[in-house]
This record gives sequence, structure tokens and C-alpha cells, in this order.
Amino acid sequence: MGAKQPIKIENLSVSYGNQKVLKSINLEIPEKGITVILGPSGCGKSTLLKCFNRIIELEENVEVEGKLFVDGEDVLHPKTDLIVLRKKMGLLLQKPQVLPMSIYDNVAFGAKIHKNMKKKEADELVEKELRKVNLWDEVKERLKSPADKLSIGQQQRLCLARGLAVEPEIILGDEPTSALDPLSAEVIEKQFLNLKENYTIILVTHMLRQAKRLADFVAFIYLGELVEFNSAAEFFSNPKDERTKRYLSGLIAG
Amino acid sequence: MISAKKIEEKIFKILMYISFSLLSIALVSIIAVVFVKGLGALSFKMLFSVPQGGYYLGGEGGILNAILGSIAIGSIATLLSFLYAFCIVFYINVYRFSKSQFSRSVRFFLDILWGIPSIVYGAFGFGIMLIFKIPASLLAGALTLSFVILPIMARTMDETLRMIPFEMKQAAYSLGATRFEISYKVIIKQAFPGLLTAILLAFGRGIGDAASILMTASYTDSLPTSLLRPVATLPLCVFFQLSTPFKEVQERGYAAAFVLTILMLLVSLLARLSFKSFSKYVVK
Repeated sequence: MGAKQPIKIENLSVSYGNQKVLKSINLEIPEKGITVILGPSGCGKSTLLKCFNRIIELEENVEVEGKLFVDGEDVLHPKTDLIVLRKKMGLLLQKPQVLPMSIYDNVAFGAKIHKNMKKKEADELVEKELRKVNLWDEVKERLKSPADKLSIGQQQRLCLARGLAVEPEIILGDEPTSALDPLSAEVIEKQFLNLKENYTIILVTHMLRQAKRLADFVAFIYLGELVEFNSAAEFFSNPKDERTKRYLSGLIAG
Repeated sequence: MISAKKIEEKIFKILMYISFSLLSIALVSIIAVVFVKGLGALSFKMLFSVPQGGYYLGGEGGILNAILGSIAIGSIATLLSFLYAFCIVFYINVYRFSKSQFSRSVRFFLDILWGIPSIVYGAFGFGIMLIFKIPASLLAGALTLSFVILPIMARTMDETLRMIPFEMKQAAYSLGATRFEISYKVIIKQAFPGLLTAILLAFGRGIGDAASILMTASYTDSLPTSLLRPVATLPLCVFFQLSTPFKEVQERGYAAAFVLTILMLLVSLLARLSFKSFSKYVVK
């Protein structure tokens, strides 16, 4: 599993109305491991993430230019089948957003959209995915109760399971732990480390320490520009760009 | 010493209590007045029989024709405008950007329609009936009434749909769902209580409206049996009886008004009770 080839971004620019949020980004994200997109708040890193599955188009007045290749295909091309594209990627939002249905149906929702499933098949899938995110034991007695009743940390794990159930190659995380308490955040981080064997993970964060804990590769974005991209070891021990050095030493607030 | 802020707080608190009391007094006194004035005429016979000869002069009979007529015309009008309102609001909120120029224009038009007095709808419906030579009937009345309540239902539904968190749509789209799947598997579930409120609000408004059906549905002493025949309604039933010079008949008019009010109360009460089971999965 995981993406079959590196994800290539060529000259990607995004603007909201007259405001340019991302300026001509060029980046190649390796198909293995966790790539962290790092940067202070408002630098455009979430915007970049939303381009991957074109969720960005749900917002008004957005203009996206450039090319973004996933498995060798330009996903920004108008003819891209969004359903196929989005099936390839699981998205985890900043605030866990469960769907207005039961725990069971939340997990099965995406999978049932893409495939007709018998009840037994769906049951097995739900159990498998909930086990992957360590939630099964906590909810197996109340699969039919509303997902909204879960704690916020459980909700985020449920959202992860929901995303995994559509069998994506790539997992996108938009600061997925920032709304969680430290313990739940740790659980989620552990999941990511477990999952990186099989998935391409792209994680947006503004937390330096989280990046250090998780990243195999780091892309640093500042004011809409890609400042530096490198392996995590190199990035943290030997930053090239002046802005990266300032950020790492805490001189750029974030 | 009491600070200025505390006095300010107190004044507003008192104002709130006063307005709350006025509201409660209005509700209670409306029900009380129609009840007391109509008490003498209230009976099971009145609820379950139709007017006999000379009913409006004090003869035997009841208002079952108007009760059933009102329910029929209200339900049909609500159903018709639901089919339309539902499509409008999902189109402007799911298929178009909720804040787009187009969606805002639709909202603006609906707001204008909301403000048009129902007698104007009545005249409009009547005009159309004259052109196509349609007689005053349950169908014509229900169609006209559906125009009256359409903006109410559509705008109330619209407000509900706009309250759905953007992240919820993002989450559903990112799983690869189509707009149609998101509409009926996610949005309807999340918005269900609000959609139901909109329907009941429109039904309540429709069942109480007199002006739009005066000319289009006419009135009859018999039970509603055909879409193409005139139909009796409670508001007009109240009007006809109150405008007679006979005290006894006027009393029946108040009794009919009481029945109409109770019918409304029942509908909203049932709605409240059913809310809990419908909103089980709603994400707060």
C-alpha cells in the first residue's frame, strides 16, 4: 500500500480572491514514511493539504494553479474523477468531525459508498478498522450509539478509522492533534507511527516538537513559500535557510 | 454602593421579565378568551357533525366539515410546498455555494415572497383560476395556499442547512461521497429537527390562513370528498359565524376558534415530543 510513486507538486499557487496564499510551490513528497508540513499559523500549510484531495474547492473564490501528481496523474486536471481521487486519501481534520450517525455507520459510511457490502462484510470491516486505531475495546458494546457521545479523543480516532475504511493510500492530517488532550494526542501520534509502514502520511502541524517526534521528512512553509524540504534528521540538525534557522530557534512565532 | 454596571444589568433583567410576562399573558389570554366565549357551544356533537339546515341561524349541526377541510387543505398545501422548498434549499446550499450570488438572490426573492400579504396570493390564485376556468375547489385552494407557505418553509429550512458545520461537509466529501450522497446520508440526518420544524411552521401558518383560500377554496357545508369540490376551513368557519347577528352562532364561532387553536397546539406539541427520537444522531 501507500502511494505508488512520489507525490510531485509543480508550481502550485493558490489564491483566495486577490490574496495569494501559496506561491509557486515545488515539492516531491516521498511515497514512504511521514512527511510533515511545518510552519507557523496562517502560512498556507493547511491550504496546501486541501489541494491534495481538492477539498479546497468547497470554498468560494479559490483559484488553484499548477500541477499536482499523485500516482503519476495530475489531480488538478479538470477531468480528474474526484471520487476516485478522494478514495485514495483519508483526511483527518483539526477538530474531529463525526457524522450524524452511529459509531458503526461512521466507520462504514465511506466504505459503503464505494462498494456494496453485505452485513457480515461490513461488520468485519468496522471491527478491523476500529482495532487499527485502538478504539474497538472501548466501543464494541455500543456500536449503535451516536458517535457524538464519544469523547473528543475517541472521536478523532473514529475519524481516523472512518478514513482508513475506504482503503486509502495516503493519509492527510490537518493538525489532527491540536484540539485533543495530551493523552489522546499521544494515542493518535502512535497510530501514525504504526500506519506509516503501509501508508503515505502527510501531516500538517505548527508544533515543532510533534514534527520532531513523527517526521521522516519535513517541508517548511513560511508566508506561502516553500522554504526548505529535507529529511527530518538533516532538517533539524543542519537547516540551510536563514528563515528555517530562525523558526527552529523560536525567533519566528508560530 | 451599587455600581452603574449592576444597575444596567438589573434594568435589562427587569425588561426581560416584563417582555416574558407580556408574551405569556398574550398566549394564555388568547386561549382563555376563545375558550370562555365558546364554552357554551363546545360539545362532542359540534366536533363530529356537519351543519344541518339553518345552522348559521342557530340550527343543529357542527363543524366537522371545517375541521377536516382545514386539515386536508393544510396537509396538501404543506406537501406541495415541501416538494418545492426541499429542492430549492438543497440546490442553493449543497449544489451551489451557500454564499454565492445566486443563492443570495434566491433568498432575497423568498424574503420578498414572505412579505406579500396572503390576500394578494388569493387574488393571484383567483386570477389564474379565471383564466383556466378552474372552479373554487380544494385543489385550487391548496395550490394557492402552498404559495403562501412556500417562502416560510424554504427560508426556515435554509437557515437550518446553513447551520451545518462546514467541517462536516468537508469530512463527508473527503471520503469520496457525491453531493447527492452527502445530501441524503449526512445533511438530512443532521438537519432533520430543523427541517421538521420548518414543515410544521408552514403547516401551522397554512391552516390558520383565511385570505388566500377565501376566493380559491370557497366554502361548503359538506365534508371534503373531492379535490375538485369546494372545501370548508376553520378560519372561514370562525369568520362566517362571528359575523352573524345571533349570539348563539357567535358563541359557536369562538368555539371553532378554540378548536383551531388547540389543533395548532397539538401539532407543535407532537412535534416537540417527536424531536428527541429524530435528533438522536445529530452532532451538537
